[in-house]
Amino acid sequence: MHYAKKVLIITFLLCITIFIISPFLMIIVTSFARGWFGTQWMPQEWTFDWYQWAFQVANIGAILKNSIIIAVLAIAMSLFIGMATAWAIARRPVPGKEILFSIILLPRMIPPITYALGISNIFYKLNLIDTYLGVSLAHVTLCLPFGILILSSTFEGLDQRIIEAAQVCGASRWRTFFHVILPLVMPGILAAIIFTFTTSYNEFTLTIMTYGPHTVTLPVKTYLAIGDGYWEVASAISTILLIPSLIVLIIIQRLLKPEKIVGGFKGV
Amino acid sequence: MKKITKQSLVTFSLLSPGLLAIGCLFFYPLFIIIKNSLAFEEEHIFYHYIKFLSSSNGLYVIGLTCLLAFGATFLSICLSILLILILRRKPIGHNFFKTLVLAPITIPGLICALGLLLFWDKNGWMNLIIQGIINRPIQVNYTIPGLLIFYTWLFFPYTFLITFSQVESLDKSIEEAAEVVGANRMQVLRYILLPLAKPGLLAGSIITFMLCFGAFSVPLICGGDYRPLSVSIYTTSAIYNRWDEGSAMAVIMALIQIFFLISYIRIMKRAR
Repeated sequence: MHYAKKVLIITFLLCITIFIISPFLMIIVTSFARGWFGTQWMPQEWTFDWYQWAFQVANIGAILKNSIIIAVLAIAMSLFIGMATAWAIARRPVPGKEILFSIILLPRMIPPITYALGISNIFYKLNLIDTYLGVSLAHVTLCLPFGILILSSTFEGLDQRIIEAAQVCGASRWRTFFHVILPLVMPGILAAIIFTFTTSYNEFTLTIMTYGPHTVTLPVKTYLAIGDGYWEVASAISTILLIPSLIVLIIIQRLLKPEKIVGGFKGV
Repeated sequence: MKKITKQSLVTFSLLSPGLLAIGCLFFYPLFIIIKNSLAFEEEHIFYHYIKFLSSSNGLYVIGLTCLLAFGATFLSICLSILLILILRRKPIGHNFFKTLVLAPITIPGLICALGLLLFWDKNGWMNLIIQGIINRPIQVNYTIPGLLIFYTWLFFPYTFLITFSQVESLDKSIEEAAEVVGANRMQVLRYILLPLAKPGLLAGSIITFMLCFGAFSVPLICGGDYRPLSVSIYTTSAIYNRWDEGSAMAVIMALIQIFFLISYIRIMKRAR
Protein backbone atom coordinates (compact mmCIF):
# COMPACT_ATOMS: atom_id res chain seq x y z
CA MET A 1 0.00 0.00 0.00
CA HIS A 2 2.75 2.43 1.04
CA TYR A 3 4.86 1.51 -1.99
CA ALA A 4 1.94 1.89 -4.41
CA LYS A 5 1.23 5.33 -3.02
CA LYS A 6 4.82 6.39 -3.49
CA VAL A 7 4.75 5.26 -7.12
CA LEU A 8 1.47 7.14 -7.64
CA ILE A 9 2.93 10.36 -6.20
CA ILE A 10 6.09 10.12 -8.29
CA THR A 11 4.04 9.45 -11.44
CA PHE A 12 1.87 12.46 -10.71
CA LEU A 13 4.86 14.74 -10.15
CA LEU A 14 6.47 13.39 -13.31
CA CYS A 15 3.30 14.16 -15.29
CA ILE A 16 3.23 17.73 -13.98
CA THR A 17 6.93 18.11 -14.80
CA ILE A 18 6.33 16.93 -18.36
CA PHE A 19 3.28 19.19 -18.53
CA ILE A 20 5.42 22.22 -17.62
CA ILE A 21 8.62 21.42 -19.52
CA SER A 22 7.27 19.97 -22.79
CA PRO A 23 6.14 23.24 -24.42
CA PHE A 24 9.69 24.59 -24.08
CA LEU A 25 11.25 21.35 -25.36
CA MET A 26 8.88 21.45 -28.29
CA ILE A 27 9.96 25.01 -29.17
CA ILE A 28 13.61 23.97 -29.10
CA VAL A 29 12.99 20.84 -31.21
CA THR A 30 10.86 22.82 -33.72
CA SER A 31 13.60 25.42 -34.09
CA PHE A 32 16.00 22.70 -35.31
CA ALA A 33 13.47 20.67 -37.32
CA ARG A 34 12.99 20.47 -41.06
CA GLY A 35 9.75 19.14 -42.54
CA TRP A 36 8.25 17.98 -39.28
CA PHE A 37 4.73 17.06 -40.35
CA GLY A 38 2.15 14.50 -39.34
CA THR A 39 2.24 12.16 -36.42
CA GLN A 40 5.90 11.88 -35.57
CA TRP A 41 7.54 12.21 -32.20
CA MET A 42 10.73 13.65 -33.62
CA PRO A 43 11.61 15.31 -36.93
CA GLN A 44 13.35 13.30 -39.64
CA GLU A 45 15.87 15.98 -40.49
CA TRP A 46 17.71 18.49 -38.35
CA THR A 47 18.80 21.93 -39.53
CA PHE A 48 20.25 25.27 -38.43
CA ASP A 49 18.42 27.07 -41.27
CA TRP A 50 15.87 28.73 -39.06
CA TYR A 51 18.57 30.34 -36.93
CA GLN A 52 20.25 31.56 -40.10
CA TRP A 53 16.88 32.98 -41.14
CA ALA A 54 16.40 34.57 -37.77
CA PHE A 55 19.76 36.36 -37.99
CA GLN A 56 19.76 37.23 -41.71
CA VAL A 57 16.11 37.78 -42.63
CA ALA A 58 14.54 38.66 -39.28
CA ASN A 59 17.64 40.63 -38.23
CA ILE A 60 17.67 39.31 -34.67
CA GLY A 61 21.01 40.94 -33.84
CA ALA A 62 19.60 44.45 -34.18
CA ILE A 63 16.41 43.45 -32.36
CA LEU A 64 18.38 41.98 -29.46
CA LYS A 65 20.29 45.26 -29.29
CA ASN A 66 16.97 47.18 -29.17
CA SER A 67 15.63 44.96 -26.39
CA ILE A 68 18.73 45.39 -24.27
CA ILE A 69 19.01 49.19 -24.78
CA ILE A 70 15.33 49.58 -23.85
CA ALA A 71 15.69 47.31 -20.80
CA VAL A 72 18.80 49.16 -19.56
CA LEU A 73 17.09 52.55 -19.97
CA ALA A 74 13.97 51.27 -18.19
CA ILE A 75 16.05 49.85 -15.30
CA ALA A 76 18.08 53.05 -14.96
CA MET A 77 15.01 55.27 -14.90
CA SER A 78 13.01 53.01 -12.59
CA LEU A 79 15.80 52.68 -10.04
CA PHE A 80 16.76 56.35 -10.22
CA ILE A 81 13.17 57.42 -9.61
CA GLY A 82 12.31 54.54 -7.31
CA MET A 83 15.29 54.79 -4.96
CA ALA A 84 14.27 58.12 -3.37
CA THR A 85 10.60 57.22 -3.15
CA ALA A 86 11.34 53.80 -1.65
CA TRP A 87 13.66 55.38 0.92
CA ALA A 88 10.97 57.86 1.96
CA ILE A 89 8.32 55.14 2.23
CA ALA A 90 10.57 52.79 4.19
CA ARG A 91 12.39 55.08 6.59
CA ARG A 92 10.46 58.31 6.98
CA PRO A 93 7.17 59.04 8.66
CA VAL A 94 4.71 59.29 5.77
CA PRO A 95 1.03 59.88 6.52
CA GLY A 96 -1.29 57.39 4.80
CA LYS A 97 1.52 55.00 3.90
CA GLU A 98 -0.81 52.16 2.95
CA ILE A 99 -2.85 54.30 0.58
CA LEU A 100 0.32 55.68 -0.96
CA PHE A 101 1.64 52.17 -1.47
CA SER A 102 -1.54 50.97 -3.13
CA ILE A 103 -1.48 54.00 -5.45
CA ILE A 104 2.07 53.13 -6.46
CA LEU A 105 1.14 49.48 -7.04
CA LEU A 106 -2.01 50.34 -9.02
CA PRO A 107 -0.34 50.05 -12.47
CA ARG A 108 0.36 46.41 -11.68
CA MET A 109 -3.19 45.73 -10.52
CA ILE A 110 -5.04 47.11 -13.52
CA PRO A 111 -4.59 45.33 -16.88
CA PRO A 112 -1.84 47.16 -18.81
CA ILE A 113 -3.85 47.16 -22.03
CA THR A 114 -6.30 49.64 -20.46
CA TYR A 115 -3.77 52.42 -19.90
CA ALA A 116 -1.57 51.37 -22.83
CA LEU A 117 -4.16 53.04 -25.09
CA GLY A 118 -3.73 56.32 -23.21
CA ILE A 119 0.06 56.05 -23.20
CA SER A 120 0.20 55.53 -26.96
CA ASN A 121 -2.17 58.46 -27.43
CA ILE A 122 0.05 60.79 -25.39
CA PHE A 123 3.28 59.49 -26.93
CA TYR A 124 1.93 60.11 -30.44
CA LYS A 125 1.45 63.75 -29.56
CA LEU A 126 4.92 63.98 -27.98
CA ASN A 127 6.57 62.13 -30.91
CA LEU A 128 7.84 59.46 -28.53
CA ILE A 129 6.48 56.52 -30.55
CA ASP A 130 9.26 54.45 -32.10
CA THR A 131 12.02 55.94 -29.94
CA TYR A 132 14.08 54.11 -27.33
CA LEU A 133 13.09 56.70 -24.75
CA GLY A 134 9.38 56.29 -25.50
CA VAL A 135 9.29 52.51 -25.31
CA SER A 136 11.44 52.43 -22.17
CA LEU A 137 9.30 55.12 -20.52
CA ALA A 138 6.25 52.96 -21.20
CA HIS A 139 8.10 50.07 -19.55
CA VAL A 140 8.84 52.23 -16.51
CA THR A 141 5.09 52.23 -15.74
CA LEU A 142 5.38 48.51 -14.94
CA CYS A 143 8.99 48.42 -13.70
CA LEU A 144 8.71 51.29 -11.21
CA PRO A 145 6.11 49.73 -8.86
CA PHE A 146 8.17 46.55 -8.77
CA GLY A 147 11.34 48.50 -8.08
CA ILE A 148 9.77 50.56 -5.29
CA LEU A 149 8.25 47.43 -3.72
CA ILE A 150 11.58 45.55 -3.58
CA LEU A 151 13.71 48.56 -2.64
CA SER A 152 11.42 49.74 0.15
CA SER A 153 11.37 46.28 1.73
CA THR A 154 15.17 46.27 1.51
CA PHE A 155 15.49 49.71 3.11
CA GLU A 156 13.03 48.74 5.82
CA GLY A 157 15.33 45.85 6.74
CA LEU A 158 18.25 48.19 7.38
CA ASP A 159 19.00 48.39 11.08
CA GLN A 160 19.15 51.96 12.35
CA ARG A 161 21.58 50.84 15.08
CA ILE A 162 24.25 49.94 12.50
CA ILE A 163 24.04 53.39 10.92
CA GLU A 164 24.22 54.97 14.37
CA ALA A 165 27.18 52.78 15.28
CA ALA A 166 29.04 53.97 12.17
CA GLN A 167 28.32 57.57 13.10
CA VAL A 168 29.42 57.02 16.69
CA CYS A 169 32.72 55.64 15.37
CA GLY A 170 33.24 58.92 13.57
CA ALA A 171 32.22 58.11 10.01
CA SER A 172 30.99 61.03 7.96
CA ARG A 173 27.60 60.93 6.24
CA TRP A 174 29.11 60.03 2.87
CA ARG A 175 31.36 57.39 4.41
CA THR A 176 28.37 55.86 6.21
CA PHE A 177 26.45 55.80 2.97
CA PHE A 178 29.17 54.27 0.78
CA HIS A 179 30.77 51.90 3.27
CA VAL A 180 27.85 50.85 5.47
CA ILE A 181 24.47 51.42 3.86
CA LEU A 182 25.34 50.62 0.24
CA PRO A 183 26.94 47.20 0.88
CA LEU A 184 23.95 46.26 3.04
CA VAL A 185 21.31 47.19 0.49
CA MET A 186 23.24 45.88 -2.53
CA PRO A 187 21.47 42.50 -2.62
CA GLY A 188 18.12 44.30 -2.68
CA ILE A 189 19.24 46.62 -5.46
CA LEU A 190 20.47 43.62 -7.44
CA ALA A 191 17.12 41.91 -6.93
CA ALA A 192 15.35 45.04 -8.11
CA ILE A 193 17.59 45.18 -11.20
CA ILE A 194 16.88 41.54 -12.02
CA PHE A 195 13.12 41.86 -11.62
CA THR A 196 12.88 45.11 -13.57
CA PHE A 197 15.06 43.59 -16.28
CA THR A 198 12.76 40.58 -16.69
CA THR A 199 9.70 42.84 -16.65
CA SER A 200 11.09 45.05 -19.40
CA TYR A 201 12.66 42.23 -21.43
CA ASN A 202 9.41 40.25 -21.46
CA GLU A 203 7.04 43.20 -21.78
CA PHE A 204 4.68 42.91 -24.74
CA THR A 205 1.41 44.78 -24.13
CA LEU A 206 2.87 48.26 -23.68
CA THR A 207 5.55 47.64 -26.32
CA ILE A 208 3.07 46.74 -29.03
CA MET A 209 1.26 50.05 -28.45
CA THR A 210 4.43 52.17 -28.59
CA TYR A 211 6.87 50.37 -30.92
CA GLY A 212 7.79 51.21 -34.49
CA PRO A 213 10.10 49.84 -37.18
CA HIS A 214 13.21 51.03 -35.32
CA THR A 215 12.26 49.76 -31.87
CA VAL A 216 11.05 46.22 -32.49
CA THR A 217 11.86 44.16 -29.39
CA LEU A 218 12.24 40.39 -29.21
CA PRO A 219 8.71 39.63 -27.92
CA VAL A 220 7.18 41.82 -30.64
CA LYS A 221 9.30 40.11 -33.29
CA THR A 222 8.21 36.70 -32.01
CA TYR A 223 4.60 37.83 -32.23
CA LEU A 224 5.06 39.11 -35.78
CA ALA A 225 6.76 35.86 -36.82
CA ILE A 226 3.92 33.77 -35.33
CA GLY A 227 1.35 36.01 -37.00
CA ASP A 228 3.05 35.55 -40.37
CA GLY A 229 2.91 31.78 -39.91
CA TYR A 230 6.69 31.24 -39.67
CA TRP A 231 6.47 29.01 -36.62
CA GLU A 232 9.92 27.55 -37.11
CA VAL A 233 11.55 30.97 -37.26
CA ALA A 234 9.41 32.07 -34.30
CA SER A 235 10.70 29.02 -32.42
CA ALA A 236 14.29 29.92 -33.27
CA ILE A 237 13.74 33.50 -32.02
CA SER A 238 12.05 32.13 -28.89
CA THR A 239 14.97 29.81 -28.19
CA ILE A 240 17.31 32.80 -28.34
CA LEU A 241 14.91 34.73 -26.05
CA LEU A 242 14.82 31.82 -23.62
CA ILE A 243 18.51 32.02 -22.75
CA PRO A 244 18.43 35.24 -20.65
CA SER A 245 15.20 34.08 -18.99
CA LEU A 246 16.83 30.81 -17.94
CA ILE A 247 19.86 32.68 -16.58
CA VAL A 248 17.53 34.86 -14.51
CA LEU A 249 15.69 31.77 -13.31
CA ILE A 250 18.95 30.24 -12.07
CA ILE A 251 20.03 33.51 -10.43
CA ILE A 252 16.71 33.82 -8.58
CA GLN A 253 16.95 30.24 -7.35
CA ARG A 254 20.64 30.25 -6.42
CA LEU A 255 21.58 33.72 -5.29
CA LEU A 256 18.51 35.58 -4.19
CA LYS A 257 17.41 33.94 -1.02
CA PRO A 258 14.46 35.89 0.35
CA GLU A 259 16.30 36.62 3.59
CA LYS A 260 19.06 38.29 1.55
CA ILE A 261 16.60 40.58 -0.14
CA VAL A 262 15.52 42.08 3.16
CA GLY A 263 18.96 43.36 4.05
CA GLY A 264 20.09 40.41 6.12
CA PHE A 265 20.38 42.33 9.39
CA LYS A 266 16.81 42.55 10.52
CA GLY A 267 17.21 40.19 13.43
CA VAL A 268 20.39 41.64 14.97
CA MET B 1 7.74 73.49 14.56
CA LYS B 2 10.22 74.73 11.98
CA LYS B 3 12.10 71.45 12.14
CA ILE B 4 8.94 69.44 11.47
CA THR B 5 8.18 71.42 8.31
CA LYS B 6 11.73 70.99 7.09
CA GLN B 7 11.55 67.24 7.74
CA SER B 8 8.23 66.87 5.93
CA LEU B 9 9.60 68.92 3.02
CA VAL B 10 12.49 66.48 2.69
CA THR B 11 10.07 63.54 2.84
CA PHE B 12 7.88 65.13 0.21
CA SER B 13 10.78 65.87 -2.13
CA LEU B 14 11.97 62.27 -1.74
CA LEU B 15 8.49 60.95 -2.52
CA SER B 16 7.79 63.27 -5.42
CA PRO B 17 9.81 61.67 -8.27
CA GLY B 18 8.01 58.35 -7.88
CA LEU B 19 4.60 59.93 -7.50
CA LEU B 20 5.21 62.24 -10.44
CA ALA B 21 6.24 59.30 -12.64
CA ILE B 22 3.18 57.26 -11.65
CA GLY B 23 1.00 60.32 -12.22
CA CYS B 24 2.39 61.03 -15.70
CA LEU B 25 2.66 57.43 -16.88
CA PHE B 26 -0.44 55.93 -15.29
CA PHE B 27 -3.04 58.43 -14.07
CA TYR B 28 -2.71 60.86 -16.95
CA PRO B 29 -3.11 58.08 -19.58
CA LEU B 30 -6.13 56.82 -17.62
CA PHE B 31 -7.58 60.32 -17.68
CA ILE B 32 -7.00 60.53 -21.45
CA ILE B 33 -8.78 57.19 -21.95
CA ILE B 34 -11.77 58.34 -19.90
CA LYS B 35 -11.85 61.59 -21.89
CA ASN B 36 -11.63 59.71 -25.21
CA SER B 37 -14.38 57.32 -24.20
CA LEU B 38 -16.92 60.08 -23.66
CA ALA B 39 -18.92 61.08 -26.71
CA PHE B 40 -19.34 64.85 -26.63
CA GLU B 41 -20.83 65.06 -30.14
CA GLU B 42 -23.41 62.30 -29.76
CA GLU B 43 -26.80 62.75 -28.11
CA HIS B 44 -25.65 60.89 -25.03
CA ILE B 45 -22.27 61.40 -23.38
CA PHE B 46 -21.97 57.70 -22.52
CA TYR B 47 -22.89 56.69 -26.08
CA HIS B 48 -19.92 54.31 -26.56
CA TYR B 49 -20.49 52.61 -23.21
CA ILE B 50 -24.18 52.07 -23.91
CA LYS B 51 -23.43 50.85 -27.43
CA PHE B 52 -20.90 48.28 -26.16
CA LEU B 53 -22.90 47.10 -23.16
CA SER B 54 -26.21 46.82 -25.05
CA SER B 55 -24.72 44.85 -27.95
CA SER B 56 -24.81 41.08 -27.68
CA ASN B 57 -21.12 40.97 -28.54
CA GLY B 58 -20.25 43.24 -25.61
CA LEU B 59 -21.92 41.05 -23.03
CA TYR B 60 -20.45 37.95 -24.68
CA VAL B 61 -16.92 39.38 -24.47
CA ILE B 62 -17.32 40.33 -20.80
CA GLY B 63 -18.82 36.92 -20.01
CA LEU B 64 -16.01 35.13 -21.82
CA THR B 65 -13.35 37.12 -19.96
CA CYS B 66 -14.94 36.38 -16.58
CA LEU B 67 -15.45 32.71 -17.44
CA LEU B 68 -11.80 32.30 -18.43
CA ALA B 69 -10.53 34.20 -15.37
CA PHE B 70 -12.73 32.40 -12.83
CA GLY B 71 -12.28 28.99 -14.47
CA ALA B 72 -8.50 29.24 -14.62
CA THR B 73 -8.32 30.57 -11.04
CA PHE B 74 -10.42 27.64 -9.81
CA LEU B 75 -8.26 25.13 -11.69
CA SER B 76 -5.11 26.80 -10.32
CA ILE B 77 -6.39 26.54 -6.75
CA CYS B 78 -7.20 22.83 -7.18
CA LEU B 79 -3.84 22.07 -8.78
CA SER B 80 -1.96 24.08 -6.15
CA ILE B 81 -3.68 22.32 -3.22
CA LEU B 82 -2.94 18.93 -4.76
CA LEU B 83 0.70 19.79 -5.35
CA ILE B 84 1.15 21.30 -1.90
CA LEU B 85 -0.27 18.20 -0.21
CA ILE B 86 2.30 16.10 -2.06
CA LEU B 87 5.29 18.42 -1.82
CA ARG B 88 4.72 19.15 1.87
CA ARG B 89 6.12 15.72 2.70
CA LYS B 90 9.30 16.66 0.79
CA PRO B 91 9.49 13.80 -1.74
CA ILE B 92 12.54 13.32 -3.99
CA GLY B 93 13.20 16.35 -6.17
CA HIS B 94 10.90 18.78 -4.43
CA ASN B 95 13.51 21.56 -4.72
CA PHE B 96 13.82 20.97 -8.44
CA PHE B 97 10.06 21.21 -8.64
CA LYS B 98 10.00 24.56 -6.90
CA THR B 99 12.44 25.90 -9.52
CA LEU B 100 10.42 24.33 -12.29
CA VAL B 101 7.22 26.19 -11.44
CA LEU B 102 9.16 29.47 -11.69
CA ALA B 103 9.55 28.82 -15.43
CA PRO B 104 6.10 30.09 -16.52
CA ILE B 105 6.69 33.21 -14.40
CA THR B 106 10.13 34.20 -15.68
CA ILE B 107 9.75 33.13 -19.31
CA PRO B 108 7.93 35.62 -21.57
CA GLY B 109 4.22 34.85 -21.98
CA LEU B 110 4.56 34.92 -25.74
CA ILE B 111 7.11 32.10 -25.80
CA CYS B 112 4.95 30.10 -23.42
CA ALA B 113 2.01 30.65 -25.76
CA LEU B 114 3.98 29.43 -28.77
CA GLY B 115 5.20 26.38 -26.86
CA LEU B 116 1.69 25.56 -25.65
CA LEU B 117 0.30 25.89 -29.19
CA LEU B 118 2.97 23.53 -30.51
CA PHE B 119 2.56 21.06 -27.64
CA TRP B 120 -1.26 20.87 -27.82
CA ASP B 121 -1.40 21.05 -31.62
CA LYS B 122 -3.10 18.26 -33.58
CA ASN B 123 0.38 16.95 -34.41
CA GLY B 124 1.87 17.92 -31.07
CA TRP B 125 3.23 15.55 -28.44
CA MET B 126 0.13 15.78 -26.25
CA ASN B 127 -2.11 14.67 -29.07
CA LEU B 128 0.30 11.83 -29.90
CA ILE B 129 -0.20 10.60 -26.33
CA ILE B 130 -3.98 11.07 -26.58
CA GLN B 131 -4.09 9.25 -29.92
CA GLY B 132 -2.38 6.32 -28.27
CA ILE B 133 -5.30 6.15 -25.83
CA ILE B 134 -8.44 7.10 -27.79
CA ASN B 135 -7.19 6.66 -31.37
CA ARG B 136 -8.09 10.13 -32.60
CA PRO B 137 -6.66 13.57 -32.03
CA ILE B 138 -8.62 16.18 -30.10
CA GLN B 139 -8.79 19.87 -30.90
CA VAL B 140 -7.41 21.89 -27.98
CA ASN B 141 -5.91 24.98 -29.61
CA TYR B 142 -8.31 27.84 -30.28
CA THR B 143 -11.04 26.40 -28.01
CA ILE B 144 -12.30 27.56 -24.59
CA PRO B 145 -11.04 24.46 -22.71
CA GLY B 146 -7.70 25.00 -24.46
CA LEU B 147 -7.56 28.60 -23.26
CA LEU B 148 -8.44 27.45 -19.74
CA ILE B 149 -5.57 24.94 -19.81
CA PHE B 150 -3.16 27.57 -21.14
CA TYR B 151 -4.20 30.16 -18.55
CA THR B 152 -3.85 27.62 -15.73
CA TRP B 153 -0.45 26.53 -16.99
CA LEU B 154 0.75 30.11 -17.14
CA PHE B 155 -0.67 31.52 -13.93
CA PHE B 156 -1.02 28.69 -11.37
CA PRO B 157 2.59 29.14 -10.10
CA TYR B 158 1.55 32.39 -8.37
CA THR B 159 -1.15 30.63 -6.32
CA PHE B 160 1.11 27.65 -5.71
CA LEU B 161 4.24 29.52 -4.59
CA ILE B 162 2.46 31.93 -2.25
CA THR B 163 0.32 29.23 -0.63
CA PHE B 164 3.28 26.88 -0.37
CA SER B 165 5.39 29.42 1.49
CA GLN B 166 2.48 29.92 3.88
CA VAL B 167 2.00 26.17 4.45
CA GLU B 168 5.76 25.67 4.94
CA SER B 169 5.78 28.23 7.74
CA LEU B 170 2.94 26.45 9.60
CA ASP B 171 3.73 24.81 12.87
CA LYS B 172 3.90 21.06 12.28
CA SER B 173 2.82 20.35 15.86
CA ILE B 174 -0.72 21.62 15.19
CA GLU B 175 -1.24 18.85 12.68
CA GLU B 176 0.33 16.29 14.97
CA ALA B 177 -1.91 17.44 17.79
CA ALA B 178 -4.97 16.90 15.58
CA GLU B 179 -3.74 13.42 14.68
CA VAL B 180 -3.10 12.60 18.32
CA VAL B 181 -6.66 13.46 19.27
CA GLY B 182 -7.87 11.07 16.57
CA ALA B 183 -8.54 13.17 13.48
CA ASN B 184 -8.18 11.22 10.27
CA ARG B 185 -6.36 12.55 7.21
CA MET B 186 -9.40 14.17 5.58
CA GLN B 187 -10.35 15.85 8.84
CA VAL B 188 -6.84 17.25 9.25
CA LEU B 189 -7.02 18.61 5.72
CA ARG B 190 -10.56 19.97 6.06
CA TYR B 191 -10.39 21.48 9.55
CA ILE B 192 -6.69 22.23 10.10
CA LEU B 193 -4.66 22.64 6.93
CA LEU B 194 -7.09 24.40 4.61
CA PRO B 195 -8.25 27.02 7.14
CA LEU B 196 -4.64 27.76 8.08
CA ALA B 197 -3.57 27.99 4.44
CA LYS B 198 -6.57 30.11 3.50
CA PRO B 199 -4.88 33.57 3.68
CA GLY B 200 -2.07 32.36 1.41
CA LEU B 201 -4.53 30.70 -0.92
CA LEU B 202 -6.60 33.87 -1.19
CA ALA B 203 -3.58 36.13 -1.68
CA GLY B 204 -2.12 33.80 -4.31
CA SER B 205 -5.35 33.25 -6.16
CA ILE B 206 -6.10 36.96 -6.41
CA ILE B 207 -2.82 37.43 -8.29
CA THR B 208 -3.68 34.51 -10.56
CA PHE B 209 -7.14 35.96 -11.10
CA MET B 210 -5.90 39.44 -11.94
CA LEU B 211 -3.36 38.09 -14.39
CA CYS B 212 -5.96 35.83 -16.03
CA PHE B 213 -8.40 38.72 -16.32
CA GLY B 214 -5.85 41.00 -17.95
CA ALA B 215 -4.00 38.33 -20.00
CA PHE B 216 -3.19 39.71 -23.41
CA SER B 217 -0.46 37.91 -25.31
CA VAL B 218 -1.83 34.41 -24.80
CA PRO B 219 -5.42 35.01 -26.00
CA LEU B 220 -4.05 37.20 -28.81
CA ILE B 221 -2.15 34.23 -30.23
CA CYS B 222 -4.05 31.21 -28.91
CA GLY B 223 -7.57 32.62 -28.74
CA GLY B 224 -8.58 32.22 -32.37
CA ASP B 225 -12.18 33.46 -32.58
CA TYR B 226 -12.45 33.77 -28.80
CA ARG B 227 -11.41 37.30 -27.98
CA PRO B 228 -11.57 38.31 -24.32
CA LEU B 229 -11.73 42.00 -23.34
CA SER B 230 -8.00 42.72 -23.59
CA VAL B 231 -7.77 41.42 -27.17
CA SER B 232 -11.05 43.11 -28.16
CA ILE B 233 -9.74 46.44 -26.87
CA TYR B 234 -6.56 46.02 -28.88
CA THR B 235 -8.29 45.00 -32.13
CA THR B 236 -11.00 47.67 -31.84
CA SER B 237 -8.58 50.53 -31.27
CA ALA B 238 -5.27 49.62 -32.87
CA ILE B 239 -6.53 47.57 -35.82
CA TYR B 240 -10.02 48.93 -36.62
CA ASN B 241 -8.92 52.39 -35.50
CA ARG B 242 -12.03 53.05 -33.39
CA TRP B 243 -10.17 54.59 -30.44
CA ASP B 244 -13.24 56.02 -28.71
CA GLU B 245 -14.97 52.64 -28.57
CA GLY B 246 -11.73 50.94 -27.52
CA SER B 247 -11.28 53.51 -24.73
CA ALA B 248 -14.83 52.90 -23.46
CA MET B 249 -14.08 49.16 -23.36
CA ALA B 250 -10.81 49.83 -21.53
CA VAL B 251 -12.61 51.88 -18.87
CA ILE B 252 -15.21 49.12 -18.45
CA MET B 253 -12.41 46.54 -18.10
CA ALA B 254 -10.59 48.64 -15.49
CA LEU B 255 -13.82 49.14 -13.54
CA ILE B 256 -14.63 45.42 -13.53
CA GLN B 257 -11.10 44.63 -12.38
CA ILE B 258 -11.31 47.20 -9.56
CA PHE B 259 -14.71 45.80 -8.53
CA PHE B 260 -13.31 42.26 -8.30
CA LEU B 261 -10.23 43.52 -6.50
CA ILE B 262 -12.25 45.32 -3.84
CA SER B 263 -14.57 42.35 -3.30
CA TYR B 264 -11.57 40.05 -3.04
CA ILE B 265 -9.90 42.27 -0.46
CA ARG B 266 -13.13 42.32 1.55
CA ILE B 267 -13.33 38.52 1.49
CA MET B 268 -9.69 38.37 2.54
CA LYS B 269 -10.25 40.70 5.49
CA ARG B 270 -13.21 38.60 6.61
CA ALA B 271 -11.14 35.42 6.27
CA ARG B 272 -8.58 36.83 8.67
